[in-house]
Amino acid sequence: MDIKRAAVIGSGVMGSGIAAHIANAGIPVVLLDIVPKSGDDRSAIAKGALEKLKKADPAAFMHPKNARLVTPGNLEDDLHLLAECDWIVEAIIEDIGLKAALYQRIDPVRKPGSVVSSNTSTIPLNMLTEGQSETFKADFLITHFFNPPRYMRLLELVTSEKTRPEAAEAIAAFCDRSLGKGVVRCKDTPGFIANRIGVTWIQAAVNEAINLGLTVEEADAVAGRPMGIPKTGIFGLMDLVGIDLMPHIAKSLLSTLPDGDFYRGIYREHAVIKQMIADGYIGRKGKGGFYRVNKAGGKRVKEAIDLQTGQFRTSDRVKLESVTTAGKDLRALAEFPDRTGAYARKVLAQTLAYAASLVPEIADSIVAVDEAMRLGYNWKFGPFELIDKLGTTWFAELCRSEGLTVPALVAQADGRSFYRVEGGKLQYLTTGGIYDDVVRPEGVLLLADVKRAAGGKPVWKNGSAALWDIGDGVLCFEFTSKMNALDEGTMAAYQKAMGLIGDGKGQWKALVIHNEADNFSVGANLGLAMFAVNIALWPQIEQLVEMGQQTYRALKYAPFPVVSAPSGMALGGGCEILLHSDHVQAHAETYMGLVEVGVGLLPGWGGCTEMLARAAANPRRPAGPMPPVAQAFETISLAKVGKSAAEGKELMYLKASDGITMNRDRLLADAKAKALELAQDYTPPEKTTYTLPGPTGLVALEMFVEGFALQGKATPHDLVVSRHVAAVLTGGDTDHTQTVGEDHLLELERKGFMALIRTPASMDRIEHMLTTGKPLRN
Amino acid sequence: MKSVVIAGYARSPFAFAHKGELAKVRPDDLLARVVAALVERTGVNPQDIEDVIVGCAFPEGEQGLNVARTVSFLAKLPASAAATTVNRYCGSSMQAIHMAAGAIAMGAGDAIVCGGIESMSRIPMMGFNPMPHPGLKLSYPEAYSSMGITAENVARRYELTREQQEAMAVASHAKAAAAQEAGRLRDEIVAIETPNGVVERDGCIRPGTTAEGLSGLKPAFLADGSVTAATSSPLTDGASAVLVTSEEYAKANGLPILARIRSIAVAGCAPEVMGLGPIPAAQKALARAGLSIKDIGVVELNEAFAAQALACIRDLGVDEATLNLDGGAIALGHPLGATGARITGKAAALLKREGKQFALASQCIGGGQGIATILEAV
Repeated sequence: MDIKRAAVIGSGVMGSGIAAHIANAGIPVVLLDIVPKSGDDRSAIAKGALEKLKKADPAAFMHPKNARLVTPGNLEDDLHLLAECDWIVEAIIEDIGLKAALYQRIDPVRKPGSVVSSNTSTIPLNMLTEGQSETFKADFLITHFFNPPRYMRLLELVTSEKTRPEAAEAIAAFCDRSLGKGVVRCKDTPGFIANRIGVTWIQAAVNEAINLGLTVEEADAVAGRPMGIPKTGIFGLMDLVGIDLMPHIAKSLLSTLPDGDFYRGIYREHAVIKQMIADGYIGRKGKGGFYRVNKAGGKRVKEAIDLQTGQFRTSDRVKLESVTTAGKDLRALAEFPDRTGAYARKVLAQTLAYAASLVPEIADSIVAVDEAMRLGYNWKFGPFELIDKLGTTWFAELCRSEGLTVPALVAQADGRSFYRVEGGKLQYLTTGGIYDDVVRPEGVLLLADVKRAAGGKPVWKNGSAALWDIGDGVLCFEFTSKMNALDEGTMAAYQKAMGLIGDGKGQWKALVIHNEADNFSVGANLGLAMFAVNIALWPQIEQLVEMGQQTYRALKYAPFPVVSAPSGMALGGGCEILLHSDHVQAHAETYMGLVEVGVGLLPGWGGCTEMLARAAANPRRPAGPMPPVAQAFETISLAKVGKSAAEGKELMYLKASDGITMNRDRLLADAKAKALELAQDYTPPEKTTYTLPGPTGLVALEMFVEGFALQGKATPHDLVVSRHVAAVLTGGDTDHTQTVGEDHLLELERKGFMALIRTPASMDRIEHMLTTGKPLRN
Repeated sequence: MKSVVIAGYARSPFAFAHKGELAKVRPDDLLARVVAALVERTGVNPQDIEDVIVGCAFPEGEQGLNVARTVSFLAKLPASAAATTVNRYCGSSMQAIHMAAGAIAMGAGDAIVCGGIESMSRIPMMGFNPMPHPGLKLSYPEAYSSMGITAENVARRYELTREQQEAMAVASHAKAAAAQEAGRLRDEIVAIETPNGVVERDGCIRPGTTAEGLSGLKPAFLADGSVTAATSSPLTDGASAVLVTSEEYAKANGLPILARIRSIAVAGCAPEVMGLGPIPAAQKALARAGLSIKDIGVVELNEAFAAQALACIRDLGVDEATLNLDGGAIALGHPLGATGARITGKAAALLKREGKQFALASQCIGGGQGIATILEAV
């Protein structure tokens, strides 16, 4: 069954967010809520939710136009709209009576074979369907999204023995492929997987911070990055999700957890937190939480709560000896002989032992549990992967020393790791005590798996990049430098790849540029650039610019297809490689931009040239030499970044023909398939020629920027930088009766780049970016 | 020379560019609807129309080619009526009236349709392909002064405070809102069909505008300046048309004469203070009519910016009781090419409605010019 139309009932934060994300998949969705007690507009609640969605930050919609796919309505006048929907998601408040009554109303109007799912986070499925018709039970399941639904990748899917397998398959497939979710099958138990473990983890971490007398900064410094947990740590995370939600989640878990559950034993309502909630310190959505920014006296001072006194004090930037000494060695952190080491020990012991004790109660395998924690809580490693880092024997000993029962799975492992690589394949320890392959869903190809299969040995590598054989004659180019910054080595690796692939008729047919880091690439290595400037290596800098241009050009006109598959940020030089690819298969969450002006430079690896070509090819632009120039100028001089692949298309960083993959795990397979498709009868693109206005266009663009400067919207150095960008885009000393070629424009790019990098104000921008991560407005 | 009269005035509603209700209407269609209505309302015999003169500030795209001819065809005027398009930026359609008056005065025709058009939604200010002269920009940058900055220059030269400018904006909206409320704008407006329904009311007027409400806005053109979006005329879509005939033709054919054209003038001024253009232009026109500003009972002075309008009022000695009785461009909007015919037609209509003897219509023009027309009751 295809999901062609959907409905969400309940337009709260979760319901509306789910509706927005279904719209992101291009599917029309009806959003219904109750009729308000007062007012003329009977659909005011759902309409209000839609308005809120449009303004949500981070954005709920991948493109503003997606909002048009959401039809708001109310549950009294518009219930008939459900008759056209293939999937109805219920996301109303967690009240079993209300949900049951709603299902009774939905059932008669929905179309036969449609699927109904609940977004409940706490109520067991069998309780939800009690008293409902048999067909309803067959068409019912739980789809538990995480907040915000667009960005959190986990979807917990719960079925009962009555659920039709085809219904579950259809929803799982839709959530996976169209919504991009990592669908994890869970058992029908309280809190399913992620919240059950996550809430226990938070409780243990708060308890121990208070017991051991750690500050919130110290606690977050330990139970954050060193454990592969987002840097918000525990207290920062609570500020983010809302401290006031914690008692509600705890209450609902406590109402359904079995007697004797570990969480019941450690659950505590700390006076300091109760007081914070009472005082309105509920987190970032309120006036602050464990952390706040105090703006009194005109200054912005970061403050943190003293867990012992409940008073705010200036927040300290902590540097812990334990964390520094341990580095990436988690066990060393947990063994460190001070209170922060003890904190790591106790939090890890309680959280991981609890998680290990819950398999197979909550899920069939440890793989599902690890996946759920990675995707639902953004942990870099799941609980069992963390135990592996500590070692199962050491962990069993830790449990004993902490007075905890050694979980059966850990005991059964008996010193073996939970995961291993065997014959190039990742395997996990089953509940039966034997290893089995981790099986990826069909259509999922992970570079990590490719690497394992190759025994970690790429086809070729240098310090900046590696080339991997992803099968069927396709070579995968992976950035491997720190932060995927681009440098001379990256260019050398491209040259090597082109040498290996040759004419595309031999062993290799195509190149896919892809990596599995958080960000595809944030551009050229600025640190190196600054170093070169400081010792005035001008010829070398210009050479690198030229080398980049030639390499990107060579890739564009290579006799084989080049397909890029980015995810996360693709900025500056990382964006320029995409502009030169035959096809981009972008993950939906790809953030592209030519942001060079932010560091006082201009796109010098063909970015200006390619953006001009795209703007000129835009069929919707008005005629004449200026519109394409003005369009490219606006995009580059304002350093516009697309906040999704859809926005990247709007900004023309992506071509209309480029593809978008919603599920990141499917990105490489999609890119590879496209590369193979293009490899059949491949012909490289024709060279573009340009008709540009020359000096008159430059004056026109300068006038615009001068206007901005007078308004106070452009800084003095913005004027300098944009003048150089304009000089490139208008074609230098040309005229709109002539045409110029790419070489001419690339030379202008190089000249402009070199002029700017020699400007002290640009160097100030680079230095500021390197030290603060933020652009300098000079 | 023949005496020349204004024998009819009509316009479309004026609406905000981009977000307004006329953004989806082609400018040639918009003006054609107005011209057709003007011909119908005045009862002029279409066969007698000598020429159709249309003013437009950025005559390209859908208002390009010879848009006057396109409009004539769309309005179903006979092929025998000629057509020309004229550009004097914001003064374009007042210039159309001047050209018609000149032609009729020397016997080159008895009835001429003068129109003005600007869709600022569909054709951007500066046009699609702004290509300024690099040498001139270097040697005489004032030639390309942005309009907002010229308003700031005038505000500084005349020491006009932000509060004074805002008071003018408040008054403009109050007068326009009152006129709209009382139905005094209804007669001049031609309803326009759009893809989203019929539009028959002006869209830029903000009733209830207060000085407090405006005081929070940021300066629009200069970081530490005094001119804001509220004290500037908005980007507007609109069209207007006036029927200009010889007095004897109007009388012989029973056309509804609104006013006689008494004198006309244009004048240049420094481009960086283009908003002062009405001062020399109006002074010339007054002198040619043998009148002083004290003789003028109705003044239609275009409010491109409150600052320039206030400077002109001060230097010309305009009695504010005679000024823009139904509101000015700050409230009604300023579709560049269409404004001249609006204020001239409006001045003629007001002269009749208010029972006054003389009217002055004047406006400033980008690049540093002014244009003025003196009308008298018949």
